[in-house]
Amino acid sequence: MQNVINGIPLWWYLFVAAALFCIGLYGVLARKNAIAMLMGVELMLNSVNLNLLAFWRYLAPGSQAGLAFAAFIFVVAAAETAVGLALIISAYRSLRSVDPEKLDQLKF
Amino acid sequence: MTIQQVVFAVLAVAVIGAALFVVTTGNLFRGALMLILVFFGMAGFYVLLDNGLFAVAQVMIYIGAISILIIFAVMLTRGMQAMIPRNAQATGAAVAAAALFVAIFLAFGPLRLTVDFSAVPVLSALFRTETARTLGDVPWQYANQPVPETYIADFGRALVNINQYLLPFLLIAFLVDAVLAGAVHLARQRKPAELIAERREIAEEEAEEAAALRGAASPEPLPQGAMAATTTQDH
Repeated sequence: MQNVINGIPLWWYLFVAAALFCIGLYGVLARKNAIAMLMGVELMLNSVNLNLLAFWRYLAPGSQAGLAFAAFIFVVAAAETAVGLALIISAYRSLRSVDPEKLDQLKF
Repeated sequence: MTIQQVVFAVLAVAVIGAALFVVTTGNLFRGALMLILVFFGMAGFYVLLDNGLFAVAQVMIYIGAISILIIFAVMLTRGMQAMIPRNAQATGAAVAAAALFVAIFLAFGPLRLTVDFSAVPVLSALFRTETARTLGDVPWQYANQPVPETYIADFGRALVNINQYLLPFLLIAFLVDAVLAGAVHLARQRKPAELIAERREIAEEEAEEAAALRGAASPEPLPQGAMAATTTQDH
């Protein structure tokens, strides 16, 4: 079969990526801690990267589009984590809590 | 089964299991450690995809930087480590995530790639399956070729090529600059207010101590001037 690389068909990667994305989505929606929600976002970003690189390998290994998108997602994920954690620590200093349900003021 | 299939299966089980642990555990620190395992598994997937560059980048950026940042944040917010793992909408979130998984699976998963939907009445209206597979309306097909040996050099040239990715490359560099400055600003923004609050707390405690020394004559906290007076009396 032509759609098998290293003995692995494409949909195996898509399956893992979809599962990881949904697990991350659950983490973002169901957690009571801002840092744990951020971990869920990281899982989702990782699954997107796996999808992009799998499609790059199976459909267009000669082009740079998949690599470029994946690299930009890496950078955006790092930036998002840095800002998110700075916000969380800043809020923790003021409120002594990282529960997003307690972050209900515009100014404190 | 080839050795790659075995490696893939082990990685998949480890990654999905660790990810499930990350989103369900009550101990945030253990969740952060399991997140590192997820990141390692992703690096393994990239190796299986013949992409050593991104495997190394995954280890350096995600494990070396992002996991450490998350662990720092977990440590800095002490007392929050042992926590209630779920909020009130957890059941709905689980249902939504499972429904999304099924939807993705139906749309782009093995069913779409192997089963002919045109024979099934409802699905044939929802999804058009032809012999040439489509994503949306864009046809796509397997390239069936190896990764070029110079893919890293090609990628580097594409990033600085004005006709390819130079503009996004510059924009992302600007984003990182702005984010670093913004993160530092955010993290130290509260400091003066915090210092004032700390000083006020210390002053109130001193005033209460002074009131206790004098006896229970004045139960309410003393004003600032009275506190200064008690400190001079002590000398």
